[in-house]
Amino acid sequence: MYGVQLDHLAAVLGVSESRARGIAAGWRSQRYAESARLGPGGPWTWLTRSGLTACGLPYAPAAPALGRLAHIRAVAAVRLALESASRYATAGGYWRSERRLRARMGGRVGLREHIPDGEVHWPDDAPAPWAGECWAIEVELTPKTARRTLAIMRELLTRTGDYGGPAAGTAAAGNQSPGPPRHARVLYLCAPAARPTVARAREALGAPGARIEIRQLPPGAAMAPPRGQAAAPPRGQAAAPPRGQAAAPPRGQAAAPPRGQAAAPPRGPAAAPARGQAAQ
Amino acid sequence: MSKRRGVSGIRLLAARAAIRATVRLLLAAAAAALIIAAAPVSVVAVSGSAFAWLTGWPPGRLYRAALCCVPMLAVWLAVTAIATRSASQVAAAPYLAWLAMWHRGAAGSYPAAAAVIAPPAIPAGLAAGGLAWSYRIRSMEAGSGGLSPDAAVSFDLRQWRHQARSARARISAPGAVPLTTRSEGIVAGAVIRAVRHPARPIATIPYARVRSHQVVVGTTGTGKTTLLLRLWAGFMATALLRHAAGRGKAPLLVVLDCKGGADARRIADRARRVLRLAGARSTAIWPDEASLSVWALPPEQLTTTLVDLIEHGTGAAAYYADVMEAVVELAVSAPCGPPASSADFLARLDTGWLSLAYSSGHEAELALVRSAARQVGDIGLRFRTLLRRLGGGLDGAGGFGDADAWYCILEGTAEISVAQAQARALVDLLASYAAGRAGPLEGREILLAVDEFSAVSRRLPVWQLYERARSLGLAVQVSAQSWQGLAADDDERYRIAAAADGGIWLLRTPSPEAVAALAGTRKVTDTTRRLIGVPVWSHRGTSRIRLAPVVDPDLIRALDVGQAAYIYRGGVTYVQVKRLVAGPAALPAPHRPPAPAPALAQVGATERTPGCAEPTDPAPRPPRPTRPYRAAATSPEPLPDVGALLDDAFGSEPGS
Repeated sequence: MYGVQLDHLAAVLGVSESRARGIAAGWRSQRYAESARLGPGGPWTWLTRSGLTACGLPYAPAAPALGRLAHIRAVAAVRLALESASRYATAGGYWRSERRLRARMGGRVGLREHIPDGEVHWPDDAPAPWAGECWAIEVELTPKTARRTLAIMRELLTRTGDYGGPAAGTAAAGNQSPGPPRHARVLYLCAPAARPTVARAREALGAPGARIEIRQLPPGAAMAPPRGQAAAPPRGQAAAPPRGQAAAPPRGQAAAPPRGQAAAPPRGPAAAPARGQAAQ
Repeated sequence: MSKRRGVSGIRLLAARAAIRATVRLLLAAAAAALIIAAAPVSVVAVSGSAFAWLTGWPPGRLYRAALCCVPMLAVWLAVTAIATRSASQVAAAPYLAWLAMWHRGAAGSYPAAAAVIAPPAIPAGLAAGGLAWSYRIRSMEAGSGGLSPDAAVSFDLRQWRHQARSARARISAPGAVPLTTRSEGIVAGAVIRAVRHPARPIATIPYARVRSHQVVVGTTGTGKTTLLLRLWAGFMATALLRHAAGRGKAPLLVVLDCKGGADARRIADRARRVLRLAGARSTAIWPDEASLSVWALPPEQLTTTLVDLIEHGTGAAAYYADVMEAVVELAVSAPCGPPASSADFLARLDTGWLSLAYSSGHEAELALVRSAARQVGDIGLRFRTLLRRLGGGLDGAGGFGDADAWYCILEGTAEISVAQAQARALVDLLASYAAGRAGPLEGREILLAVDEFSAVSRRLPVWQLYERARSLGLAVQVSAQSWQGLAADDDERYRIAAAADGGIWLLRTPSPEAVAALAGTRKVTDTTRRLIGVPVWSHRGTSRIRLAPVVDPDLIRALDVGQAAYIYRGGVTYVQVKRLVAGPAALPAPHRPPAPAPALAQVGATERTPGCAEPTDPAPRPPRPTRPYRAAATSPEPLPDVGALLDDAFGSEPGS
């Protein structure tokens, strides 16, 4: 995770936004984190070199790239939504972020090589039918070309080696007898605009397309609209959070929403919206 | 008179001393003036030399660094030429830059002064630093440098510490030491020091050398396993890339771990994970998880292998060995085809079965059966005992072609006779596999790595293994804890070492003299000439050339964990081996669908000649403790449904 917006931080910590703001200020004073308002919505918080060292993370410190804010937020929302699912916790799933994958590759990512937005590893002895699988996670906000999407799908489905491992991807490079694929399945989380392209690409894949799951982005994945714009829901997305759980309070929060927020979204921590996002 | 002479002599001596002192003073002043005048170059040279001393760099690296700065100098001159459009200005550019540097320095703007003089000063300074460092090293090697007589020794020890520290720093930097290079080299680690080998920062072994015979000697706990794992992974990754590019055959790595025990299992697990990272689809661990079929050998080879599995002595026992060979030959070459399993073979070691099998039209064989009738029962008993002790590892349905790598664990410590028999059978199986796939398309590039093979090689000497391997195109990598552990006697040891075309890896070992001597000697100059100036040597004194060993045995004895000496063609490279960290074992284990029935068993069932007796099963077939191994493949089974989890996390899909 390159950075996290205040509402997501509050969801992760299981506290209100004002409390999360205070916690982030504490980290900032200890020089563990930086915080700034980079775009619409709440402020972003990201770890400094000291913070990364304290957490034992071997990443290069950097502020979230402005051009990727929406994507980073969507990936964070997907991760939070997945991690808050009870089956995920029961099965002991492990999220391996894109940043970790890139760190493993040590800057040797090929120009045409695609790194997924995350991986989910399931332990071999997990009490779930998908135990032992490794999933690739892709978040699509805007539609790519179907050809590019198809190429990415093929790459993800045929990859055999780990990222950053020696000779990883040998099988994908044309080995006649590839080994077992690294990713048992690929999970696409799509914004409504990107979904048709992803679905078309999956159809074009044929039988291997059965290993691709397509889902909507969870509520709270989209950036808050800029000031002065109405918080209209995206095309095709319902105004209210699905599954009728809108009234359920977030983990660790009282039922009353923080100031300026509408009723809390489903399983709040994963999808707690920022101010103005409740209508999505 | 004599008193006057004495006074004048003293005066003359005093005058000469004063003149000498004055000349030295003037020379020192001139040198100091030159150093100050060329301050930027001096600063860079001193810094470069100090850095080389601190990191143990050879002078060549400073020269290369100077060369790398030449483009900067060229660009600077080009910009000057474009700006001034005058050749004389370009020629005078270094002098003008020097002048400008002093002016800006005097004005107090030191960064600007440094920037002005940097383009010419940095390459010149690095080159000068390289010269100074080279001079220092040479004078210390010749024994003429340093303040004390033993300065050369402490200088060498200090430089080793610096070089080892730099190598450790290099291997700990993420991404600094890859597993393989673009030129299909296998990277073992960072170079500490090189003697008669090119001094490069990274120790790279060409792929061809790994495909040749190699020897690894090192005691337990010195990093031998780490080195071996790295070499195996490098072989696998490079061979797979070559195969993918159509430049080579698919690789096959076979490891014979002749010690056994729990430690071997741990190494096997580590090897599997490391090889998986290197691109190996499947690593079979024999006999714990996979099995091979000794019955897949060609009949003539099967007879030899089966006979060799049994202990038989010399003298009077030779008669018994001949009888046993004849009976085994009869059982294997029966008209109904070779045996398909242990049970099938044991059933044939019966006079009734053999008589029935050769009853029609095989009078000569029938006569043999009759004459050996008294011994057949004993032979059957011996084989029954042996095959029971061997377990199911050689009685399965698998073959070496089923996996990219095989890690075979032989219990050479606990059950030496069983391990000896297993080793013999495994080598025969591998030789048969290699010989049967000699075609250009179906062949494999095979690396056979044997650890402590001498412990189990009584029935197959290592040199014989080498010669067989050479004829079959196999590369053999023999590792042992000591020179003595390589083979039973010195002749055999030297034969093994002489055949190691791919080089010898020497880790810390108590008696490295024999291996170290294989690297040969080099010429070293000892001199009594004094250094009277820079770089002027006095003509008084003598120099003597002596031969010093290329590999210092004392250095080998003092090697740290993870340090190894790579001896090749009369040179040595000391390497800090980079540990290959296996990935997390979170990925699913390779899918192993149930193996089909052994092909040979089917042949045996259908191709029996009419009239040939069906062997009676002498005993219920024992359950096989191991399962046949099949290469991992893409799972044809449908994936389990994850809809509930996804609904839980992201909400149910519209319309579902």
